[in-house]
Amino acid sequence: MIRIYRQLFTAQFQAAAQYRIQFLLWMLFSVIRPTIFMAAWVAVAAAQGGSVGGYSVADFAGYYIVMTLVGHLTAAWNSFEFEFEIRQGRLSPKLLRPLHPLHYAIVENQVFKFSTLPPLAIVLAILALTFQVHFATEWWHVVLFVPAIVLAWALSFMLGWVVATAAFWLQRVQTVNTLLQRTSFIFAGQIAPIALMPAALQAICYALPFYYILGVPTEILRGGVSFERAVALIVGQAIWLGVCWAAFLVAWRRGLRQFSAVGA
Amino acid sequence: MNDPVVRVRDLRKVYRVNERQTGFGATVTSLFRRKFKEVPAVGGITFDIAPGEIVGFLGPNGAGKTTTLKMLSGLLYPTSGEAIVNGDIPWRRRDEFLKTITLLMGNRSQLVWDIPAADSFLVLKEIYTIPDAQYGATLDELTALLELEPLLHKPVRGLSLGERMKVEFAAGLLHSPRIAFLDEPTLGLDVSMQARIRAFVAEYNRRSGATILLTSHYMDDVVALCRRVIVIHHGVLLYDGALADLAERMAPYKRISVTLTTASSARDLSSYGEVASRDEYHATLHVPRREAPERTARLVRELGDGLADISVEDPPIEEVIDKVFTSERPLEAVPA
Repeated sequence: MIRIYRQLFTAQFQAAAQYRIQFLLWMLFSVIRPTIFMAAWVAVAAAQGGSVGGYSVADFAGYYIVMTLVGHLTAAWNSFEFEFEIRQGRLSPKLLRPLHPLHYAIVENQVFKFSTLPPLAIVLAILALTFQVHFATEWWHVVLFVPAIVLAWALSFMLGWVVATAAFWLQRVQTVNTLLQRTSFIFAGQIAPIALMPAALQAICYALPFYYILGVPTEILRGGVSFERAVALIVGQAIWLGVCWAAFLVAWRRGLRQFSAVGA
Repeated sequence: MNDPVVRVRDLRKVYRVNERQTGFGATVTSLFRRKFKEVPAVGGITFDIAPGEIVGFLGPNGAGKTTTLKMLSGLLYPTSGEAIVNGDIPWRRRDEFLKTITLLMGNRSQLVWDIPAADSFLVLKEIYTIPDAQYGATLDELTALLELEPLLHKPVRGLSLGERMKVEFAAGLLHSPRIAFLDEPTLGLDVSMQARIRAFVAEYNRRSGATILLTSHYMDDVVALCRRVIVIHHGVLLYDGALADLAERMAPYKRISVTLTTASSARDLSSYGEVASRDEYHATLHVPRREAPERTARLVRELGDGLADISVEDPPIEEVIDKVFTSERPLEAVPA
């Protein structure tokens, strides 16, 4: 499997190299939204005497800079791609090879991240210097961030695939996608750190998967969460990943029975 | 027949499609109540294919050919019926099974467009776990047969349709499948490229002993490659047997074309055979196969200097197949 991945990575990287400007633009677009929220909260905190709900100007900056990095590392777009793969008949050749289509998507996902992480790091470093960020990160936050970000990526990826499989039944999965994105926007901790939200909203955040994708790794790497809370949040990620994996297996098996391979 | 590599029993596929009515009212209603219609694509077909055979799978558009190929390659689940391909149930799609087949579609690409084919081949080598030595030998052989050398290192998107089809063939055959399902492999290619692909398929079958199930609308493909044909129409098997026999039964005549030296449309040729077409200088006659030599000799003798040219040929296979389609009733099978 390692050999397959190595070869797939090389091929996808070669293909991606031809779209480097497009990749760079996508990366920059992904920075815009958190930067706007960061600027807004920094302004609010400054206007209220330097802090809101225990978050100082530098804390907000730290939170959103880490969130930008987490957002980049956990991004998954299979739910958009898959519908086109089915419609244009690109899924069929993959189904006829002795390799699950998930693997192609994993590699494609990693190629994008691998090729855009260096320029993103530069952008984030500039933002960090501009806003004079503050992190409360201990060494064990960094250690726990590793499983947290891996689980967050896997969860984001598998959630994307669960939605993607809807394309076996629905003609337009984009609507489901949009709904998911809007929900994630509210409940993942993008508008504000969830500690600043009303208790009822916080409960919803904990119950949905989105916070475990973006909010959890962000809070852990930024520091300021206790060890116990960090571990509990990672367990929450693992549970959601298990749920999504099971849902994917069921949906995939049933979807393939439904698959009509039109135009393929 | 040897133990079949493809065994199909009463295979059926019914598609469930959303039926949309026209008009505003019907559209509004469809928002709340969707109507579905069952469309039978393959209506219970049965056949066997022996190892090493090249079988032509014929039928007009929408006959169920591609649906059958998709079921036999494992892409589609059937609605009912059985199929065993290479000893396995195709739609289980086990890795061991997938390594023994290939499905090549003339209108579809399985290569990454932005990179050279050689790089896609390396990915396939790993996916199919092809040993280095076997990979080298197979690639060399395919490169020679298909004259791929100048094409391997160009990005696929820069290749012409014919060139792309050649590298698609190589990609599909790198893992030396024991069965190749070819769906319209010469679609859109010019005459010379069609001939080269045909020659390649024949040679590949001879060298590797692979079984080939081929659909094509170009009868030249079928005549050149397939001794046996399976004809389906509206998902029903109409004929399974020798192509030559089909021609003899559906069109039991030879075609004699004559060209006259002088305009003589008045001349009666009906005593030589059934006049299928006629103008001042040309005529086409249909004569019973057995009597063709004698009638031809008589024509030459009796028309004498009035005859500029004469040719005797079998009726075009398109005409034969068309007769099977239009009859729409199953013909008794004759072994190929």
